[in-house]
Amino acid sequence: MKKGSLKRVFLIFFVIEIVLLIISGGLTKDLEIGFEKSKFVVRHVEKHGDLQEKITEEFQPDEYLLETGERGKIHGSERIYDFFAKVFGKAHAISAFMLLRMLLIVNFIIILIAVLTKKLLFDRPSKPQVLFEMMYSFFEEFVQDTLGKNFIHFTPYIFTIFLFIWVCNMIGLVPIPGFMEPTRNLNVPMGIGIICILVVHATSIKVKGIWGHFKNYLNPIENPLFLLDIVGEVSKVVSISFRLFGNVLGGAIIMLVVSSLVKFIMFPVGLNLFFGIFVGTIQAFVFTMLALTYIGVEIGE
Amino acid sequence: MAMAEAIARAAALLGAGICMGMGALGPGIGEGFVAGKACEGIARSPENASLITRTMLVGQAVSESTGIYSLVIALLLIFST
Repeated sequence: MKKGSLKRVFLIFFVIEIVLLIISGGLTKDLEIGFEKSKFVVRHVEKHGDLQEKITEEFQPDEYLLETGERGKIHGSERIYDFFAKVFGKAHAISAFMLLRMLLIVNFIIILIAVLTKKLLFDRPSKPQVLFEMMYSFFEEFVQDTLGKNFIHFTPYIFTIFLFIWVCNMIGLVPIPGFMEPTRNLNVPMGIGIICILVVHATSIKVKGIWGHFKNYLNPIENPLFLLDIVGEVSKVVSISFRLFGNVLGGAIIMLVVSSLVKFIMFPVGLNLFFGIFVGTIQAFVFTMLALTYIGVEIGE
Repeated sequence: MAMAEAIARAAALLGAGICMGMGALGPGIGEGFVAGKACEGIARSPENASLITRTMLVGQAVSESTGIYSLVIALLLIFST
């Protein structure tokens, strides 16, 4: 790539960022795009400047709306909101709605990646194919180092977890109101953590047999501390999911506090670089590595 | 606001501050220790620098989690009382 074109790309991104910033809430106003009574509307919503209230509203919509009873901002279709309000109740509907929409966007991106790497060519590989083959082979090597050659079929599972969490963490970089990382909601990391631990136990049963696996937890004579082992399995889920959740939430709150210090005029680029890209990538990698290590500990003996 | 509620709120805010301060001590010391050891390792064998850096980052991210737990608890104290 030529030097000039790279500079031009950066300039275009900068301009797009400024335009998004101006229309998306730099001036204590929030842009609301959506459907109202089967009519497409774009309007500004006044925001209050109290940081405490804003944090409560952004991060715990359920509690805040339960207390105040007002209807939150919905960027999307009203009919789906009414469906959620019927199923979950009014206050929980908003967070469920936001979470589901974000997860749909993440899934869309992953499907896009799959479409991009659909045509696999051996002679002249396309650019996305080269990129994702590099990432895949990195993870394949990693799985082979940890579990051995017999368990190399875990690579797609591990790679999928990494890609999902990574895309989830990267969503927070998009400066559009209503965009949040799905991993900021505790339900998502907890769900992935439970799946990881279930896979660990299923693999252990497959390798060691049913009694070979459960004698660790059900035999008080051989293992007097079997209760601690059971608690340890639960704490694995808690530790692996709270780590991801706390990192993403802490980064988001720090960014919000800094943006409120400059009255939402500037976009904290450096903080996004660290808490968005760096911490997001590292935490996604740590999550997959721990999921892999748990499997390795169970089948290693 | 009633007096009892105000006292509970003040205690929760104070507890959140103490929790964050104490909880940041351990990971800070631990991560600095890990970084120092990694520096020593890189100085001893510069050809393994990338592997050492990767392992250091992962280890730091894992040992950071106690601080993250205290952050979660501080947030719970602030927002749920």
